[in-house]
Amino acid sequence: MTGVLAAARHEWRRIFTVKPVFSVLILAAAIYAVFYPQPYLNEALREVPVALVDRDNTVTSRAFAQRVAATPDVAIAMVVPDLLSAQRAVYARDVSGILLVPQNFERDLLHGRPSPVALYADASYFLIYQRISGAVAAVARGLGTDVEIARLVGAGVDPALAAAATDPMPLTAVPLFNPQGGYATYLLPAAFVLILQQTLLIGVALLGTLRDGAQAGAAARQPLRARAASVAGRLLAYLALEAVILPLYLVVLPYAYGVPRLGPLAPIAFFAVPFVLAVGGMGMVLAALFRKPMAVQLACAAIGLPFFFLAGFAWPAEAMPAAVHLLALAVPSSAAIDGFVRLSQMGAALADVRAQFMTLWSLAIVYGGLAVMMNGRAPMTPGAEPAASP
Amino acid sequence: MRARRGLRPGLRLVFAREGRQLRRRPFLLALSTLVPLALMALLTAVFSAGLATKLPIAVLDLDGSDLSRTLVRMVDATPDVSVAKRVGDLAEGRRAILSGEVHGLLMLPRDLERDVAAGRRPEVVFFYNTQTLTTGNLVLRGVSAAVPAAAAGIRLSLRTARGQPVEAARSALQPVPVQVHALFNPTLNYVHFLLAALLPSTLQVVVVATLAYAVGLDVETPHRLRVLRRLGGGLWPAVAGKLLPYTILFLMVLGAADAVLFGWLGLPLRGSPVLLLLAGVLFVVSCQLIGALLALVLRPVGTAISIATLLTAPAFGFMGIGFPRLGMNAFAHGWGALLPGTWYLTARIDQTVRGTPLDLSWRPLLVLLAFAIALGGVLGLRLESLRRRRERASAPPVPARAAP
Repeated sequence: MTGVLAAARHEWRRIFTVKPVFSVLILAAAIYAVFYPQPYLNEALREVPVALVDRDNTVTSRAFAQRVAATPDVAIAMVVPDLLSAQRAVYARDVSGILLVPQNFERDLLHGRPSPVALYADASYFLIYQRISGAVAAVARGLGTDVEIARLVGAGVDPALAAAATDPMPLTAVPLFNPQGGYATYLLPAAFVLILQQTLLIGVALLGTLRDGAQAGAAARQPLRARAASVAGRLLAYLALEAVILPLYLVVLPYAYGVPRLGPLAPIAFFAVPFVLAVGGMGMVLAALFRKPMAVQLACAAIGLPFFFLAGFAWPAEAMPAAVHLLALAVPSSAAIDGFVRLSQMGAALADVRAQFMTLWSLAIVYGGLAVMMNGRAPMTPGAEPAASP
Repeated sequence: MRARRGLRPGLRLVFAREGRQLRRRPFLLALSTLVPLALMALLTAVFSAGLATKLPIAVLDLDGSDLSRTLVRMVDATPDVSVAKRVGDLAEGRRAILSGEVHGLLMLPRDLERDVAAGRRPEVVFFYNTQTLTTGNLVLRGVSAAVPAAAAGIRLSLRTARGQPVEAARSALQPVPVQVHALFNPTLNYVHFLLAALLPSTLQVVVVATLAYAVGLDVETPHRLRVLRRLGGGLWPAVAGKLLPYTILFLMVLGAADAVLFGWLGLPLRGSPVLLLLAGVLFVVSCQLIGALLALVLRPVGTAISIATLLTAPAFGFMGIGFPRLGMNAFAHGWGALLPGTWYLTARIDQTVRGTPLDLSWRPLLVLLAFAIALGGVLGLRLESLRRRRERASAPPVPARAAP
């Protein structure tokens, strides 16, 4: 036991004294906390510019255009006489859509004929497309319903019956957990888990490759118990560190950015333990595999984004090939993002994330065991600390 | 260094030396080729389906009538969703959503058919999980297509039952139909939208980090920069010779990614392939110059690589693909404008899915060219100042001499 505590104390001191490790585990985490969410802070896309091509130029067509402009999603940025100049504006990215009101719009409407409008929406950016098409479709539906009710009432039908005839079975869509569809509310809870993993992973791997004088010579052929004690001690140190950083990332930061949290703190803390152990173990395995700090940094630089999309969060797991989904389970962030988001954003109970919890414990045991077995290999940079060149 | 007969200092000499370096350092070679290819292959595997279909939802049918069964059948028939589970009450449905088994719950109230026939407008409620925007929007799209279609069928039958001819009734259903044309990506394929942007973004991180390492190796050893300059016979041939092998390697990686995107995954190329290639070259060169500059300004090389990662790893969000740049705050918009990847992706999207006319295609390319020139200029200035510092440090002290 004393061996474990001694190793833990030693590692804790190293976290704060080895410069590259400190800058990854603490400085980088602090910088990412402010830097990473910046693009998403406005949460929603508002007043997307569209061009209006009004070939009708009547009271009704102008009223329709005004209704569209009144939505918070869309703004009529320019009124152009023909489709060609509107197309150029789309190519130039001055507008993101074209609303075309054809000739005889009002006349057809008054005569009871269907009077279509055309919307050309930029689908090379999906959020833009969703905003524009949703807003215009809603306005057209609203106008259509008003017109239909007016026609029926004009034909002598009771207003209540007219409303029932136009919309006999209304669909009420109730968005759960992110009702306004905010982008930051959607992305940040998952992104914060990934940042936690990446900083801890690289930090632990650096600690494993930048060996200090006290352990350099002895590491080569230690008995299993000593190696296990060393690994356990180090994991304890990482748990202690993450006990401070993790709540900051998963509780304080979302609060600071206005991202709501539904779940209580205790399940989150409970779930965090196997997560930190699994990432710590994985970091130690990486350290044993790469052996040089430079290799760790270079190999892990670009891997954040693939890990994020492997998690089945931004892109559903059902749409991934089964083999890829299986591979994703080997990375702690996949189960962790799923679990943490459910616990904090959806208010799920630990029982609901049982599968993810078990996955993380399995990973912690597997990676921890591998770390113990591989811990005997001497690292390539013995001696004094932050010599950065390999 | 022994001068070999007929060996003239110049770009080719530096290029050959760097090539030998790469062969002697397999890790560096793997970093320039295998690592980006492996990461790209992983991302491609994730998105290979292109479209997310048949996402599971649960149904709570409290009615059990013909109408409700038809409704469930119509919802199941949409490509976006599939009815995966029947639940008996709301609590069970909630648990299914919380555990991730389903993405939404469709609730059909009691006496649905009877109330519809009586004109009491019973509500069909769809609870859907919008914590993940992608799946939330997709399941909503599926159900929003199916339920109003069923309602439209009811409205049609109400009118025809009253004697209105079918065609007139059908056209009266939607007085203002909207014909929505999705420009540039009509099938809303995620490969053309997201994957095509992720691959260059991954390459950006790899290029900047690798060049920070490669140049950093030369900066760390005291005389290497001077050796390089001598070999190159000047500043610019040395810089070009040092960077060119990596440019070629990274362009090959980009080419391989493009081969998969255009060939296998069907990404269209509606613009000019020449402009796309030019944009790619300028992008790779700009990223290389950023990496080289970091290595020249930050010591030791480990710090340069850390800063390189810090700048480029979160870059994807700033490039305006998931959340467009027109919606960002001032800082994010400005920072995004400073990333070569933003302009490269603009040029890419212009030439691949959009088919932007030539006279409008030049802007992102000119910005990339300005980046390359500006970064190259700063690089030259830094190298010159380093050389002057070296000369001052190694020059013997000039003895003070009184003028005769």
